[in-house]
Amino acid sequence: MSDVALISTFGSDEECAHAMEALHAARVHDFHALSPFPSEKIIEAYSEANHLPVRAPVRWWVLAGGITGFLSAIALTVGTSWEWNLNVGGRPIASIPPYVVIMFELMILLGGLSGLVGFFFHSRLPAFESLRGYRSRFGADKFGLVVICAENEVSKLESLLRDAGAEDVAREAA
Amino acid sequence: MAAAVETNIQPSYLDIDRNVQRAMAPGGLKYWLWVAFCAFLTALGMAFWTNQIYKGLGVTGYGEPNMWAVYITDFVFWVGIAHSGTLISAILFLFRVRWRTAVYRCAETMTVFAVLTAGLFPLIHLGRVWFFYWCVPYPNERFLQPDFRSPLVWDFFAISTYLTISTVFLFTGLIPDVANARETATGWRKTLYTILAFGWQGTDQQWRNFATIYLLLAGFATPLVLSVHSVVSWDFAMTQLPGWHSTIFAPYFVAGAIFSGCGLVLTLIIPMRKLLKVEDLVTIWHLDNLAKVVLFTSLIMSYSYATESFMVWYTQDPIEIATFQQRYYGPQGYLFWMMVVCNCAIPLLLFIPRVRTNTIWLFIISIFVNIGMWLERFVIIAGSLATNAEPSQWRFYVPKLTEVMLTVASFGWFLMNFSLFAKFLPIVSMTELKEGIGWLRHAIRETYPYRKAA
Repeated sequence: MSDVALISTFGSDEECAHAMEALHAARVHDFHALSPFPSEKIIEAYSEANHLPVRAPVRWWVLAGGITGFLSAIALTVGTSWEWNLNVGGRPIASIPPYVVIMFELMILLGGLSGLVGFFFHSRLPAFESLRGYRSRFGADKFGLVVICAENEVSKLESLLRDAGAEDVAREAA
Repeated sequence: MAAAVETNIQPSYLDIDRNVQRAMAPGGLKYWLWVAFCAFLTALGMAFWTNQIYKGLGVTGYGEPNMWAVYITDFVFWVGIAHSGTLISAILFLFRVRWRTAVYRCAETMTVFAVLTAGLFPLIHLGRVWFFYWCVPYPNERFLQPDFRSPLVWDFFAISTYLTISTVFLFTGLIPDVANARETATGWRKTLYTILAFGWQGTDQQWRNFATIYLLLAGFATPLVLSVHSVVSWDFAMTQLPGWHSTIFAPYFVAGAIFSGCGLVLTLIIPMRKLLKVEDLVTIWHLDNLAKVVLFTSLIMSYSYATESFMVWYTQDPIEIATFQQRYYGPQGYLFWMMVVCNCAIPLLLFIPRVRTNTIWLFIISIFVNIGMWLERFVIIAGSLATNAEPSQWRFYVPKLTEVMLTVASFGWFLMNFSLFAKFLPIVSMTELKEGIGWLRHAIRETYPYRKAA
């Protein structure tokens, strides 16, 4: 039996999120939402359906990058001071307080850059093919919910989506 | 009256897209003449710079004791301009300030191009620009020790980080908007937007990652913006020079940066909303709020000037007092008083609500703010150097044609980049306006009486 994609269109993020919750309650797992802006309601429904925290794992990339930047700055500043060590009137060779500025800047720099890499990685970008059920309207003025299901579940899920407020439900064969 | 009748007080998501995409339509003859004029100024500046490289810094007004003058003034001015972009895009984002959505992309774009412009001036200032890499602090075999205790080295790290993070922040926010523009574009624009969108489709998973990275970048940009201008101020405050050696410099420079930056946002956005026909998205309500920030930071500047003078009087240091007497009543004292008028007196007009909601008044005031803040940097930098601790060395700096032309060219370079961006990429964020569409409708309702009157 081949899969079918049910492409439902919603007028608001609330209805779309409500439909996602209904699908989750009906133990349907293979679905994804498409929206024109980052709706908190949809992100929460997505996280709940997938048993994920609301904040994405990108934050760990930022943390790792930040720590790497901070440690690199310590290595760069202290290491350079020792490599070219000049004793000026008995002052410390490695003077930590002024180096804190460099440590801070490199922490931010590498944290931000590794966050960007993490964002691309977890968002599966760059993507060279359109996702199943993608419509340009879902980036403009409508919210889409694409459910992948078996043919015998179509009528049940179609009515579930319409009950949740879908304006339109279209079928797309695999 | 026609404009009032055409105002849609209940815009939909599609109206937002239509307005922004109309602004991105190919430019007409007037647009390209303007870009050509800016390119001409840039080319003129490059010719003067080439002449300076060929003949040396002798073609400028530089000379003891004024070895930092207009170029460093320009550097500090442009770095300062950049800061309001981060304030509007990052700090106000963290505080969930809703009026930022219509103006933040413009301010953020301004940030990136202003930092790019600022970055040119240390190179120009060097004279022998081909030796710039000597300043880059990396372990080398030339027996040059990168001194990480020096504020100039901190500045190198601060500005590089600021440019990178600002660009990442702008670029990340652009991805969903460019993906949206990709769907309706044709020809080479479609190819360009397809490349820049990286295949973005707006799935729940992508938005979850987007929301997190955007929040974290805003969180990073906030302390960064405070650190960058503090570090720039320490280029001066860490020295022993009278007029520079002051603990007030870091907060004073940060406030001045936000003041000047918001001034330039107004200067850019007032003609832009008219020319690109985005008045229904960037409304008087947004400008009114921006003007309140300008007014608030102007009051901080007035307070800072007063505190700075009070500290000099309170210390009773004769050299500091002499420096400030020269600043107020010396041969270039008129620059200081012009600065006070532009930065402290004229912005007080913004207390009047009718001024804040009148685009002509706002535009004029913003021009005075830009002039005043450039003068402030000049007065601090060139004025303090002119009157150092050795009165026998005192000499007031007068710029020559090279510095004047390079300053003018920096505006040409900045405006050319900004104008090209505004026409080819979404200068107003469609994503954020849609997210806060209730606030946009509120803004239009608030603005409706003014447009009707106009």
